[in-house]
Amino acid sequence: MKRISNAAASPRTGKPPLFARAALLIAVLLLVSLPAACSIRGAGVVRIAGSTTLLPLVQDGADRFMDMRGDRTVLVQGGGSSVGIAQLKEGIVDIANSSRELKPDEDDGRLMDHRIALDVIAIVVNPGVGVDNLTREQVKGIFTGAIANWREVGGEDAPIITVVRDKASGTREMFDEIALDKEDSVASAIECNSNGIVRQTVASTPNSLGYVSIGYADASIRAIKYDGVAPGTESAKDGSYPLSRYLHMFTSGEPREAAREFIDYVLSEEFQTEVVSQEYIPVIGL
Amino acid sequence: MARERYIKVLLFACASLSFLAILLIFLFIFRESLPAITKGGFPNLFLSATWDPDKGRYGMLAFLNGTILTTLGGLVLGAPLGIGTAIFLDQVAPRRMGNIIRRGVELLAGIPSVVIGWFGLTILVPFIARVTNSAGYGIGAASVVLAVMVLPTITTLSAETLRSLPPELKEASVSMGATRWQTIRGVLLPAGREGILVAVILGMGRAIGETMAVQMVVGNSRQLTFSLTRGTGTLTSRIVTDMGEATGVFRSALFAQALVLLILAMLLIISIRLITRQKER
Repeated sequence: MKRISNAAASPRTGKPPLFARAALLIAVLLLVSLPAACSIRGAGVVRIAGSTTLLPLVQDGADRFMDMRGDRTVLVQGGGSSVGIAQLKEGIVDIANSSRELKPDEDDGRLMDHRIALDVIAIVVNPGVGVDNLTREQVKGIFTGAIANWREVGGEDAPIITVVRDKASGTREMFDEIALDKEDSVASAIECNSNGIVRQTVASTPNSLGYVSIGYADASIRAIKYDGVAPGTESAKDGSYPLSRYLHMFTSGEPREAAREFIDYVLSEEFQTEVVSQEYIPVIGL
Repeated sequence: MARERYIKVLLFACASLSFLAILLIFLFIFRESLPAITKGGFPNLFLSATWDPDKGRYGMLAFLNGTILTTLGGLVLGAPLGIGTAIFLDQVAPRRMGNIIRRGVELLAGIPSVVIGWFGLTILVPFIARVTNSAGYGIGAASVVLAVMVLPTITTLSAETLRSLPPELKEASVSMGATRWQTIRGVLLPAGREGILVAVILGMGRAIGETMAVQMVVGNSRQLTFSLTRGTGTLTSRIVTDMGEATGVFRSALFAQALVLLILAMLLIISIRLITRQKER
């Protein structure tokens, strides 16, 4: 940094040619970036890409893992479940985060599945909505556009505003598959790119409903029952609440040592009880 | 002399690099959007309003409609405000007050769009929702946000145009007994017409390309609508919403939307050229 500021100050002391100054700047930038570029190649590096749902959780795991093991580097990127799996098969990453199961055309028989958490999707409404329970048929009707007024499901006479996730979302894929029988949600639905934005949108929009991972269901919105069952750890574990899915880490065959260690850490009791349990249901004891 | 030549070469390199960059971007976007045009089909892509990538429907009309309506809405609100501010700055305001307002408008140009969008999301959308008893998202909210964003462009360029008019024009008008308002309306605005038009078109360019702020308040729906308070999307908001996991023809269809944006931008540039050339004659 010091050399850059020297170069910038030089017009007072006599002007080196423009080229020389530009070259110096580039040289300094290269020098600075060299160590970063080198570290990517080392054996102690785990490269991860995939689901944006899993990104905060895995990033947190990576930070803790690196604090614990100074000789390891874990690089986590998003991109979406499909991108992660594609990059895993191309050998670009060591681990693919996925918020869904493998599709048939992705399964080449070599990918290993590591389940790291159970995610429960809660149907949430704006606190002003006076409905506590929706049947399976009602949920499907609302999200596909057949039911457009709260009056039809026992609420007040007000239009229903549906909030859904974007097409790239594993949460949406799972919700469409289980709750909507693979039908698409209504075209007027507001699309949001993350759980957090769904929460804010539902919280601030009267007469709205949407769906989020249960860890995001806080006091600003209200989680309602699905077919008479409240979303939660117990109901998801015993199978009475159907809107749940496993979150996965895929590796290509048996993972390398560094990747193996990281997955072991993510599955460890410490990480599962301290971090995973804040938003999801831990897989230990399932 | 050698140094002179070096600098010349350096500047030439800069210029050709930026020209090359725009050429490469254009070629790249065109190439990437080809699969959608050949496999999806032209009518499916450009003449349909059904966006359902799972079923191979890539109609972009709903989003093109959203882009055009939000842009026009932003200009309807922003252009009179901007031109009015410019007239005030150049003709009415005392020097110090004018300086303060000018700084304020320039500051507005520097506010990142995500901040304006967030403001719209937390203040504007709930307000519209309360007043109109709707969700609040839609073309109306996006237009207001865009009006704020085009305001600095239109104001500064219009003010610049007015300032560059020969002072004799105003002096002659006033000495003929015209009032200030008559001078502004009858002499200065017609004389600066081309420059103000260019200012509005450049503002339009900004509005068409704006992504973040619009995405936050437009509702991000797939439906074609002309209503101000129903959710819809724009070309840019759709690209940024779906690009995360789009592959194959789906991805290519998004690039086709980018191509349409690029063509819109080119049309704007061409229209500016036509206007300024007309003036030179």
